[in-house]
Amino acid sequence: MSESKKPGLLLIGAGQILTSMIVSGFLLGYLLDLYFETQPIFILILGGLGFIGGFLKVYRLLTDPELQ
Amino acid sequence: MTWNLDTIFISIALGALMVVVGGRVARNATDGVPGGFQNFVESILEFVQTQVKDSFPGHNPLIAPLALTIFVWVWLMNFMDLIPVDLLPLIGSWLGLPYLKVVPTTDLNTTLAMALVVFGLTLFYNIKVKGLGGYLKMFLFHPFGKFAMPANIVMTAIEEVAKPLSLGLRLFGNMFAGELVFLLIALLGGAAALGAGLLIWFPLQVVLDLAWLLFHILVITLQAFIFMVLTIVYLGMAHTTDH
Repeated sequence: MSESKKPGLLLIGAGQILTSMIVSGFLLGYLLDLYFETQPIFILILGGLGFIGGFLKVYRLLTDPELQ
Repeated sequence: MTWNLDTIFISIALGALMVVVGGRVARNATDGVPGGFQNFVESILEFVQTQVKDSFPGHNPLIAPLALTIFVWVWLMNFMDLIPVDLLPLIGSWLGLPYLKVVPTTDLNTTLAMALVVFGLTLFYNIKVKGLGGYLKMFLFHPFGKFAMPANIVMTAIEEVAKPLSLGLRLFGNMFAGELVFLLIALLGGAAALGAGLLIWFPLQVVLDLAWLLFHILVITLQAFIFMVLTIVYLGMAHTTDH
């Protein structure tokens, strides 16, 4: 496998990684809230974590692709 | 529960078309000088094979056929966008169909279903290659090391869910937006239904439609390519133990 090509191809989706991480954070938070009936605690926490995680992931992808 | 019969029917029909045409080409394939169509199919095969070789570690006989199926099937479904937007619904209305969605990939159900299949395969190979323990270890220690386990679990879960979500939503978003632009362009000439004077916009519709059509050929190919490549990359990640 040529290691150099994989991260390059992952960069195609860098824009969507950020948004989809935020959306999936809210989604998981919503489901957890439904399950534990704790609205709106988890949706806020996981949404925030998704936001941070999305930024982190895109930052890492753009600065050091080999990390991913 | 609602069944989107138009989406199901058209996607299955396109899948069948792919299988039948592919089968015919395979039956009539020659070792000698290939005909035009065989040449074309072989070039697609070679293209997909190169992508798999470049971005997939190790060996799995499932990946190349899966990638090929995804690429060709998604491309065919996207291609329905290039048929004049109201032609098939018009024919459908003659046959008594009140509503017909021609492009299966402008239906979120199709794209998310395909993304979920890829996600299922990723889960399967993650557990098969890394073992259940190895996969769970990734959840426990992945982004921040062993001192932030709860955050790690949540973060990795979000990351894993984000993969199929972005895969499905990207294809849906691009195709839906493309279809919408076709509809808006069609409305330029369609406005003449209000009065013949509005036919003045018709030349503009022709020019814009042609331009968007040519550009859209690139978009549908690119989206099919991205879906295929990301499938290969995600499955490749599932096959590496040092994630």
